[in-house]
Amino acid sequence: MTSRPLRDLGRRGFLTSGTLVGAGALAAACTSNAEPQSDSSPAAKAAGANAAPGKKVTIGFAGPQADHGWLNAINENAKKEAGKYSDVVLKITEGSNDAAQQASQIQTLINQKVDVLIILPADGKQMTPTGRKAMTAGIPVINLDRVFDTAQAYRTWVGGDNYRMGLNAGDYIAKRLNGKGTVIELAGIDTLPLTQDRTRGFNDALRNYPGIKRVGRAAADFTVQSGQARTAELLQAHPKFDALWNHDDDQGIGALQAIRQAGRTNFFMVGGAGSKSAMDSIKKDDSVLKATVLYPPTMAASAVRIGRLLGQAKGMSDLAEQEVPASVTLFSAVVTKDNVDSYLPLAFE
Amino acid sequence: MPEPPLLVMRGIVKEFPGVRALDGVDLEVRPGEVHCLLGQNGAGKSTLVKVLTGAHQPDSGDIVWRGDQTPQLTSPTAALRLGVATIYQELDLVAGLSVATNIFLGHERSAFGFSRRGEMNHAARELLGRLGHPEISPGAEVGRLSAAARQIVSMARALSYDARLIVMDEPSAALAHDEVTNLFRVIRQLTAAGVAVIYISHRLEEIREVGDRVTVLKDGRTVAAGLPARTTPTAMLVAHMTGRAYEYVFPPRPQANEGAPEILRVEGLTLPGVFRDLTFSVRAGEIVGLAGLVGAGRSEILETVYGARRPSAGRVVLEGRELRGGSVVAAVRAGMGLAPEERKSQGLLLLDTVAGNVSVASLRRYSRLGWLDRRRELADARRQTRALDIRPDDPRRPIRTLSGGNQQKALLARWLLKGCRLLLLDEPTRGVDVGARAELYALIRRLADSGVGIVLVSSEIPEVLGLADRVLVIREGRVLRESDARELDEHQVLDLVMEGSNR
Amino acid sequence: MNGSDGVRAEEHPGGTPPVPPADEHTRVETAAQRTGPSGLRLRIAELRNLGLLGVLALLILAGSLTRPAEFLAYDNVVVILTLASVSGVITVGMTFVIIGGGIDLSVGAIVALATVWATTKATQMYGTGGVVFCALAVGVGCGLVNGLIIAYGRIVAFIVTIAMLASARGLAINISSGHTQTLNADNQTLVNLGYKDAFVFGKIPPLVIMFALVVGIGWVVLNRTTFGRRTFAIGGNPEAARLAGLNVRLHTLLLYVLSGLCCGVASLMLIVLTGSGTSANGNLYELDAIAAVIIGGTLLTGGRGTLVGSVLGVLVFTTISDIFTLNNLTTATQQVAKGVIIVIAVLVQRLVAERRAGGDPG
Repeated sequence: MTSRPLRDLGRRGFLTSGTLVGAGALAAACTSNAEPQSDSSPAAKAAGANAAPGKKVTIGFAGPQADHGWLNAINENAKKEAGKYSDVVLKITEGSNDAAQQASQIQTLINQKVDVLIILPADGKQMTPTGRKAMTAGIPVINLDRVFDTAQAYRTWVGGDNYRMGLNAGDYIAKRLNGKGTVIELAGIDTLPLTQDRTRGFNDALRNYPGIKRVGRAAADFTVQSGQARTAELLQAHPKFDALWNHDDDQGIGALQAIRQAGRTNFFMVGGAGSKSAMDSIKKDDSVLKATVLYPPTMAASAVRIGRLLGQAKGMSDLAEQEVPASVTLFSAVVTKDNVDSYLPLAFE
Repeated sequence: MPEPPLLVMRGIVKEFPGVRALDGVDLEVRPGEVHCLLGQNGAGKSTLVKVLTGAHQPDSGDIVWRGDQTPQLTSPTAALRLGVATIYQELDLVAGLSVATNIFLGHERSAFGFSRRGEMNHAARELLGRLGHPEISPGAEVGRLSAAARQIVSMARALSYDARLIVMDEPSAALAHDEVTNLFRVIRQLTAAGVAVIYISHRLEEIREVGDRVTVLKDGRTVAAGLPARTTPTAMLVAHMTGRAYEYVFPPRPQANEGAPEILRVEGLTLPGVFRDLTFSVRAGEIVGLAGLVGAGRSEILETVYGARRPSAGRVVLEGRELRGGSVVAAVRAGMGLAPEERKSQGLLLLDTVAGNVSVASLRRYSRLGWLDRRRELADARRQTRALDIRPDDPRRPIRTLSGGNQQKALLARWLLKGCRLLLLDEPTRGVDVGARAELYALIRRLADSGVGIVLVSSEIPEVLGLADRVLVIREGRVLRESDARELDEHQVLDLVMEGSNR
Repeated sequence: MNGSDGVRAEEHPGGTPPVPPADEHTRVETAAQRTGPSGLRLRIAELRNLGLLGVLALLILAGSLTRPAEFLAYDNVVVILTLASVSGVITVGMTFVIIGGGIDLSVGAIVALATVWATTKATQMYGTGGVVFCALAVGVGCGLVNGLIIAYGRIVAFIVTIAMLASARGLAINISSGHTQTLNADNQTLVNLGYKDAFVFGKIPPLVIMFALVVGIGWVVLNRTTFGRRTFAIGGNPEAARLAGLNVRLHTLLLYVLSGLCCGVASLMLIVLTGSGTSANGNLYELDAIAAVIIGGTLLTGGRGTLVGSVLGVLVFTTISDIFTLNNLTTATQQVAKGVIIVIAVLVQRLVAERRAGGDPG
């Protein structure tokens, strides 16, 4: 009973992801000009002045309970990234989905006088006052993914882009179909803004290709089980179609099972989020899944880097700006067999 | 010159489908008196109280309340507003709420929808003080109070409506001895303030102690009105209460068989607060009656023997084997059966058929590796229902469509089918019409003749005396007397159970 | 009491009226009185669930009219039946519990925990047998805990199973860290059961056969064994059952174990379908199962009910879902329709019952 709402919260903020280009751009931005695709741990390569050890920075990190693979990956990414810097101390709280509890955890971090705070709020709206409080106390806040109500509550926002996720998925599918064919959409939870954004982006992309028609759509609740059930039904509803866009790789596990059970191979599928199992499958090319659109948890690693720069009063050396930007929106790259190797390190379990 | 009466009821008739509960009752209550209502179970006391407090509307008759010829006694709330309050045996308080909230429930002191707790607490404290119980805190949770304290809260609630007449239905039943003394003190304070009390009790000594006048009901009629409570001889009161309108037909008793084997022996059985150190036995083919008033602990005795309640001491031995206390499963397996007091809530599977009700205790017999042999089950059930002449003659009929008497027979059939050695019958004729009773009596006797031991509990003393071979007279959980049923008469038993002494 | 709860005669498998009158132990109500003990109408009155069958027929009509080619396709029927299998097995357990006077709100959470526990890396090391055993053991174990606390700890089922719901779901999240755990390459036996190669006679999915087996066994246990009879007795009047010498507590315990076992079986079916286990599985299964049981004509207070009705209820729900997906209707519309259909089904059932009870000309 509790699990679905938590999950929904978890997903609400995923703007889908940053990616090759996104993560790359970021990495490049905060290091000097390293080529991220070429190395799975870009920090190791981080060259230039910003990579050199500087003033010690204590970063407080508060996120929701890691009851979902993606959130778990957020925590892992933050910890791993902090471990790469000798001048960063990461204080990470026990995650909580309760806004009140999270607020008190953050208050504790404020009292400990951390230099920078990274907050992935349990609920963006409810946690806004807490963000403002930290800012008022002079601690720069990096708002991760689920955005606060007001820019006064954060110094920099880092997150994904659900609209572009749909846009890129639609664009990729249309191009692969050469602008002609029928598609089906397997959405998440229709009542959530993130699902609506992804669908809007998808529709907008298809509008550019009059030869592409969306013939079917169902919502699968972001669960494996519904993914299987809805896909099984959709496959019966549409004996012939050319492509399937699935919003979420987790429900995609169920969707792929349903497709195998129906023995259907006469179309291709594009996933979303960028899970490890999806990327493995794309790499092996053993199913109809040919691509996935990212929404990577590496945003937490980027947030740690930005936090470090903020703490050391440095800017992003690749930008002309003196200051770290106020908002960083990740790019939702499309992962295909051709580029999957470079993204596999970003995949989450 | 006596002051004008507070309440006059004349020729009250109340009929329910099939029963004339009140058949011309007269009652007159004066201000400031304690007026006692006396009568056997089913005499109409409870119905009369319900008419008076507006829960039932009389079919005919006149009520005059404080000179008003047409008082609006349309509902309990309306009656309360007029000043008629009732304190029920099962107190109608809300256990989870505070004393003050309970007292003012339904007429909360409030301003603009906000209850004024301070004011209510204050008023509650004053009422409790008037009743001589300032120690009860208005903020206390009612569920945590003793039975006696709850009764006081009930009275405070009555007073909060400025009651002129308080009806108390068996108020002492739930109280210990010294609490009763206290209750009487409160009653005297109330009457001194001009409040009248209608006091219903089976205990003659209480009536003599606290009562002013007595009205006796029998079979829905007033048979004696306004007798002086202290001086009317007990024999006269009892005579008024008995002398019934109809006679039961009992089957003849066989010769007592002293040599018959003992089936049940109960030794030193004790259920704290209800009965203690109870010892009796039942022979094969013998009917042993337990006579006593409601609340004397009769049902509890049966239930404890049966294992439905766990005794704190004592043993129950059935055919030489001691039973595990507090286990119905063990008792039934050993050969006991119970036809409980509340037939519908405790005995019958109302959603099931007659056959299902008959076979439920014997399912094991029709089971082969768990598989139910329904053909044999139905055939056996049919044999039983035919033998007991259960009508209509179709065991597949839903049990709830049967009359009370036939339902009772189905319960007997259940234990006959099971082949039990000892049958415990709790109020077997309750809700059974007079004609069907004779049939049940004959059936019970036939059962005994076949060698089954029977323990019979009934509120109807003539029934116990007429049907049983041996009678235990019980009062407040103690056996006052044990004797051959033929050596007792109704007056003696009533004397015993009401006075607690053999006069 | 009379009439208001209408006529619900005993159900019969496939709706066939029983032939030999003598061995029928029927739970017939007012209709029996009006038509006489031996009338043919009594037998007709035993065709319970006519209302629900009507709703199902209407749904099938709607599906055939809107998507004639796809809806009645054999493969689509297989999809409906397969999806019905998982919730159907849970509903069988739920029917027993509710007829026995209880309620089990933890079924969905138990399914989540069982799928997660059965698909951990550690469990998978023991192979398919380990997975199967683990799923069943978790189901039975949770049911045992429920039953022990309810029957012997004497805490109401609502509270106990809600506590189980919270803790089983929490434990599932803990064990899996929110990950979706897929079966590895060595444990594909179960997954293969979901593929067409495994269909019996190339036509019938093993899951549907399992479902039919569970329903068949459940029906026999409920209607032809002493266990079933005791379940009705205990649910109808626990005090009377106790005073008739039935071991009410032990029986109550067994009912929850049975429900847990059904959850274990359903978990395995879910693993077959999705090839994975996750703490998000079985979400709101409890409500779907209870709804199916209730529209199937089982009294929520216990003592009366039919397994066939519950199964029809499940089929109604899965069919609605299928029709909506076939027609590209949104989830929100679907939920509204589900609610409306629940009410209609119960109303129709009542109307049919009342007509039967009251409208006999002779």
